[in-house]
Amino acid sequence: MKTRRRVAITGIGMVTPVGNDAPTTWQNLLEGRSGVAPIRGFDASGFPSRIGAEVKSFDAAAVINDRKLLKFACRSHQFALVAAEEALRNAGIRPEAGTAPRWGFCVGAGMMGTSFAELEGLHAHCGKGGEFDPQGLLDERFPADPVAFCRSQTNAGLALLTRHFGIEGYATAVHTACASGGQALGTALKVMRRGLADFVLAGGYDSMLNPIGLSAFCLLGALSKDNETPERASRPFDATRNGFVLGEGAGFLVLEDWNAARRRGAHIYAELAGDGNSLSSYRITDSHPSGDGPIQSMRQALADAGLKPEDVDYVNAHGTSTLMNDQSECAALRAVLDGQIDRVSVSSTKSCMGHLIAAAGAVEAAVCALAIRDGIAPVNANYLRPDPNCDVNLVRDKSKPLHIRVALSNSLGFGGSNSSLVFQHPEDVTIA
Amino acid sequence: MSASPKIVITGRGAVCGAGLTPGEIWNAITSGRSAIKEISSWDASRWPAHMGAEVCGVDNRTLVEDRKLHKLLSRTDLFGLYAAGAAIADSGLLPYRETLAPEGVPEFNDRSGVFAGSGGGNYRSNYDFFPLLTAAGGDPQKFGNELNDTVNPMWLLKILPNNVLCHVGIRHSFKGTNACITNQCVGGVLAVAEAAAALRAGEADRAVAIGHDTPLEPETVFHYHRLGLMSPETVRPFDQKRSGTVFGEGAAAITLETLPQAQSRQATILGEFLGSGCTNEATGVLDVRPDGDGLSRAIQAALADAGISAAAVGMIVAHANGTPASDAAEVQALRRVFGDDLPPATGFKWACGHLIAAAGILDLVLALTALREGVIPGIATLDVLDAKLAPFPVSRLPQKPRSNIALILCRGFAGMTAALLIRGPAPLAN
Repeated sequence: MKTRRRVAITGIGMVTPVGNDAPTTWQNLLEGRSGVAPIRGFDASGFPSRIGAEVKSFDAAAVINDRKLLKFACRSHQFALVAAEEALRNAGIRPEAGTAPRWGFCVGAGMMGTSFAELEGLHAHCGKGGEFDPQGLLDERFPADPVAFCRSQTNAGLALLTRHFGIEGYATAVHTACASGGQALGTALKVMRRGLADFVLAGGYDSMLNPIGLSAFCLLGALSKDNETPERASRPFDATRNGFVLGEGAGFLVLEDWNAARRRGAHIYAELAGDGNSLSSYRITDSHPSGDGPIQSMRQALADAGLKPEDVDYVNAHGTSTLMNDQSECAALRAVLDGQIDRVSVSSTKSCMGHLIAAAGAVEAAVCALAIRDGIAPVNANYLRPDPNCDVNLVRDKSKPLHIRVALSNSLGFGGSNSSLVFQHPEDVTIA
Repeated sequence: MSASPKIVITGRGAVCGAGLTPGEIWNAITSGRSAIKEISSWDASRWPAHMGAEVCGVDNRTLVEDRKLHKLLSRTDLFGLYAAGAAIADSGLLPYRETLAPEGVPEFNDRSGVFAGSGGGNYRSNYDFFPLLTAAGGDPQKFGNELNDTVNPMWLLKILPNNVLCHVGIRHSFKGTNACITNQCVGGVLAVAEAAAALRAGEADRAVAIGHDTPLEPETVFHYHRLGLMSPETVRPFDQKRSGTVFGEGAAAITLETLPQAQSRQATILGEFLGSGCTNEATGVLDVRPDGDGLSRAIQAALADAGISAAAVGMIVAHANGTPASDAAEVQALRRVFGDDLPPATGFKWACGHLIAAAGILDLVLALTALREGVIPGIATLDVLDAKLAPFPVSRLPQKPRSNIALILCRGFAGMTAALLIRGPAPLAN
């Protein structure tokens, strides 16, 4: 095997529906506490699905002491700023004058730029009759807010974070729907291996919990309508599952060169050891029942890490709680893990925190790193009735103490992009 | 560590206001014709910024034959799919796949990557909610209740930023490593850089890289104008009277292969990818550093990646967007790298408009032609070079490249800068 640069995870930050920092999130995931509740951020009473996994009691200004910057940040950017700040503090290192060009930034960014309030404002001036009339923009009463426009640019989050933290190296934002966060971390790993950066702040952020985002998924019929039992609504792999629960949040990791991290005495959670990435090229929203697509991404990720199915102890599944995803993902796991399928523990932490869309892969990467550190596989909550089509070794009832040598995390997106990441226990990393 | 293979370009496609093929666009440019005209897709006659390089008179069927897709895709996606299809057709990869034994086809597909630089969401899609907002009249419950009767159930699918990635994969059965980069102007260029990196690392044998965007819509033009970035007239890069940029729309794509793969199927090699660089100036959404710091670092990184010296560069395709600040900083960055030994430079936005996420990759496609023809097209809108930038080797008239290597520059919002180096279609050393 050719030698390649090893990449250490030395910092973690999270803002999620079950906690506004990493320790709280992790504790609640381990206890199987649900972050799903009736939507409070706006009046969702008319929607078929009225529940969501919202970030609660969030105050960005308590962490980010820059009022002007926060004015340029939409809700998901604020999650990102806070999670990234936590990750950098946790790593005990941040960009400085001499190192800024050697810091990279890779992020899975959400797709929605315009806030609902802004859209309503636009509608009032340009769309009262139901059709868009561009001339309404020229109306002098139209509140042409350049700050709102800047917030809506596709790389506005990247702009805010690189500026705030002073990152001057390779920077990129990616979006492959629900695979975004995973692909951002995969890109970060490759950027490190290519020697383009010595440190990368990598993660994802998203918030589609607004009337338009909720509409988009309600229209597709993808969401659970268990409005009376929100905390039970997300139940990946359970036979009665009936859709996913929309969440929001952000997760960031600090990645750095393994040897450099060791030299400075940094705490290393895990090695980000491998990345696999494929396209299902099947249908835009459907996954192939055979697991074709995720099979390739998982195999690639293991091969990339120089590891085998025998080495894997835990899988943090994409596990959205939709009929199709969970079944297809289990078929893929069965194909890849083959004889190991009954031994390897599997759980979807979306059972507690819902689906964070573009942030999901990044948050779940952080979960894998913490699971390795603490030797515990987080519970797949709400699993009561087995589905014969999802016959994998789920972490049932409560979180399970488990020495995890290698963890695998899947993120499978609309549009058929599949991302698999492999994490390795730091004690098992041997540098030749 | 085994040496990584050379990466070659074997297909290209492009569409913009100046033409439906790289050849048509090239002919427009070398004839001094700009596609920038009065905007026609809405009545912009009262607008202070009213110019654009629109793709006019092209039926959606010309772009994407499958009519079912027209309802599922945005205009930007149609451009992207069209350019990708053209690049793949140009490469001859699909007829080659037909010649493979059936058991070789899945491996071919799994080893074929797709990398898209996407403009991301467009504002137009939001207006699909206007009838619902009108019907709801500010009542949120009514908004939810009437949703299903008012909005297309497939609405989300139409706005996915990764639509081109998805549909290129489905149409051509490419199933390998992939990325959809939503990094504003540098998206298309980073798609090329990431595709090449994946091939070098052995993650794929071939890939198509695409950039596509349609910034020419009322909200974008309106706000860019308010921010002082739009010209009321036209794009005049480096000119003393330059007054801002003008949007275009369209897409460009290339296929990349490892040299051994391309040789084994006797593909026509159009050029070689040599290297890329990408940096950030940490200046926030709008600003660029006046000293060109980020851009000069990106160029240095690309030179290092390619393993060549600045002196080896034969021509420069500048970002040349015509805004006073960006053009000036770009000249500063080039001076930092090349000193007084600047190779001849040009830019193409005066003719095609600014295609944002597709801008840099369109420049790359045109640079391939420039190297093949040995002609650097002049900038027809350049009357008098800004004295503060002189001397700077741009011209109204055609120039000759001093070698068969081109440097392509790209910059965008968020302080993003990127640089690509390619070698033209001269005989390749193995």
